[in-house]
Amino acid sequence: MDKRVEPLLQASVPPEPPPELEPFHQSAALSLGVELELQLVNTHDYDLAPYSDEMLRLMRKIPLPGSVVPEMTSSMIEVSTGICHSASEVLGQLSEIRAALVRCADKLNIACVGGGTHPYQQWHEQRIYDRPRFRQLSELYGYLSKQFTIFGQHVHIGCPDADAALLMLHRMSRYIPHFIALSASSPYVQGQDTQFDSARLNSVFAFPMSGRAPFTLSWDEFAKWFAKSTRTGVVKSMKDFYWDIRPKPEFGTIEIRVFDTPLTVERAAALSGFVQSLAAWFLKEQPFVPEEDDYMVYTYNRFQACRFGLEAVYVEPSTGEHMPLREHIQQTLARIMPHALELGAGGSIDTLRMSAEMGANDARWLRENYSRERLLAEVVRQAAERFRGRT
Amino acid sequence: MDEVMAIWAEWLKPSAGLPTVQWSLLLALAAAAGHLLQRYTGLPKVVGYSIIGTLAGLAGFSGAVWPLQGVALFLLELGVSVVLFEAGGRIPLRWFRHNPMVLLQSVLESVLTAIAVYYVLRYLDVRQSVAQAVALIAMAASPAVLSRVIIDTRAAGPVTERAMVLSTLSTFYALTMVAAMVGMLHKGQEGELQRSLYPVGVVLGISIVVGAILALFLRSALRVMSPTSENTSILFIALIAAGTALAAHFGGSAPLAALLAGLLLKQLHPRPWAWPRQLGTAASLLTMLMFVLVSVVAAKADWNPAVAGLVAALVLARGIAKICGISLANWGSGTSWKQALWTGCAMSPMSSVALLLVSQFVTASMTLGPRVASIALPAILLMEILGAMIATFAIYRAGESLKPWGPQDTQLMAGEARG
Repeated sequence: MDKRVEPLLQASVPPEPPPELEPFHQSAALSLGVELELQLVNTHDYDLAPYSDEMLRLMRKIPLPGSVVPEMTSSMIEVSTGICHSASEVLGQLSEIRAALVRCADKLNIACVGGGTHPYQQWHEQRIYDRPRFRQLSELYGYLSKQFTIFGQHVHIGCPDADAALLMLHRMSRYIPHFIALSASSPYVQGQDTQFDSARLNSVFAFPMSGRAPFTLSWDEFAKWFAKSTRTGVVKSMKDFYWDIRPKPEFGTIEIRVFDTPLTVERAAALSGFVQSLAAWFLKEQPFVPEEDDYMVYTYNRFQACRFGLEAVYVEPSTGEHMPLREHIQQTLARIMPHALELGAGGSIDTLRMSAEMGANDARWLRENYSRERLLAEVVRQAAERFRGRT
Repeated sequence: MDEVMAIWAEWLKPSAGLPTVQWSLLLALAAAAGHLLQRYTGLPKVVGYSIIGTLAGLAGFSGAVWPLQGVALFLLELGVSVVLFEAGGRIPLRWFRHNPMVLLQSVLESVLTAIAVYYVLRYLDVRQSVAQAVALIAMAASPAVLSRVIIDTRAAGPVTERAMVLSTLSTFYALTMVAAMVGMLHKGQEGELQRSLYPVGVVLGISIVVGAILALFLRSALRVMSPTSENTSILFIALIAAGTALAAHFGGSAPLAALLAGLLLKQLHPRPWAWPRQLGTAASLLTMLMFVLVSVVAAKADWNPAVAGLVAALVLARGIAKICGISLANWGSGTSWKQALWTGCAMSPMSSVALLLVSQFVTASMTLGPRVASIALPAILLMEILGAMIATFAIYRAGESLKPWGPQDTQLMAGEARG
């Protein structure tokens, strides 16, 4: 049998009863967790370098908060914090992890870099990391799995209970463009300026289970929907969904997945502070009730943010009003500032407010550097220096 | 063969002379052989080049004179210099500060190789001075062969990178030590430490000066020229050629000067090296010429059972010593034991640099030179072909090749499918 067809056939005839949705575990409301997918590049021509095994081996020897795990291709590595309660705690843990990463990378004569894409890597040159799940995904998705050599930041936010998690998820959906525009750092793909600030998300969109979660505010309803999905055999677990935001029942959180990995851990922590402050606003003020109709403009807003970054147009889902995204970001940041101050995330919000005001995200930094240097490899080198905290 | 050549020479009076035609046809044949060998067996192209060179050498091809001199010597030195310049540019010195074990691996594998080869040859009744000379030559692994294997297998990863760096460093040691030994032969100053160090100082000093001037010129050029421009690549090759000619003229070592220039430029100019991609076909032709020349010359060595035994012992001792040296200092160096083993195997090739070193001995001493060449030339030939195969196998086994090993009828490279 053609090896490529086998997994699809296996998927269509499930050999065992469909798995049930995991119960939603307890977590402290507003607790935080951050995952960063990072690039490993050589120090010669600054192309991606397959060093994840060596990095994992060295990182295992250093006591660190959180974890370090392999990703789909062997030039990627994913680091995550432990459970944090504030953006400053996130920054503390990420700084500690970054210091260890830099030390290990120096030892191997490579460099770690942020950014949502490697500007000029060739997808066909990437090697799938040798793990059963990655091999299965590679067999199923073909070249898409190698094109998945993209780098994102995931932010987990703790929710009081399962229904509250869904409410939080659909409320957060209105702010997906804000997250995308502020974190965008993937303008270059395969050596070309894509004209997008975040081209990474275009790669995610190619996957059949990407996009948005189904609209329901009840966990029971969601469990029924999940059961239907698994009965079709198309999905086996929540891991198979590549949604922009997805519930993570085993952690008792929702996970926001639209951020490009920023070029610095400071910005990654600031973005987590933004998510936490938004969540605090939702929980304490219950500012609005999400509706299915919010999603009428969801894809348009998402596209605008990916394409134009902080210069995008934002369509307010409830009123249909069009306004500059920068303006809406600033309004939102001003509204959540009191909650941010309570959580000790005032600095994060200030950083992002200034960034929105100047229209300066990491995509712009990359473009400005390229226009000065005219060599993408040099842009990657400088991004590596930036990740170390040197520029 | 000679008769055929005589008829040719009579019949054909080309504008650029008969050797040009001979070499052009030989290179055309080598290019075809390299391509077909890789396509149908998956072996690196250098094996094809070397096989054609060997066959030509065995058939009495008269296009290369031993000991090397004139244009042939210059072309070989230039080819080696270009490769070593690039190889030197892959070594950031700060790596050794962060990971001193790599430097220790390098020193250990080179020293152990020299010691092992020396004692094996002495055990087999080879004269002390000959054993010393061959031991120093055997230290040099071949960044030239390895870099071609890396291009052919499209390899990347810790074994590939480390083998390349260690090969370059071993070449650096061998070039320095052999130049020193040859210098002492000239002056007959053995015994007095201070005077013995003098030739090392001269060779190193002049090579460093030429290398530094070259590096400064190139850095200045990069300030105003784009590293991706074809003209930058041409300027680089032209300046390396000038440096090669000058270093040798002033009593330094041309390959050493080029290696040091690459090393210094990397430190002075840490920006990414984009220009080697632009070198493309010109550099490939130069290195191909180098491989064919090496095998043509090396194939002219006298083979007999006694030499075969010596060469086999040398190659085995060298291989074991390199693997042991790298493994001994592997702890804490960031790679696994298995990777250390594959790194040692990937350093098997022995090629153009070794030939240049032998050539230095032959030119320097009428008595020592031929004896050194009789052992070293067969070893060089064997390890150019076998070494390339071992290095390819090591890279595949280390999992650092992009493509699986095998005939490549169905595995077209990017771009080839477009025609």
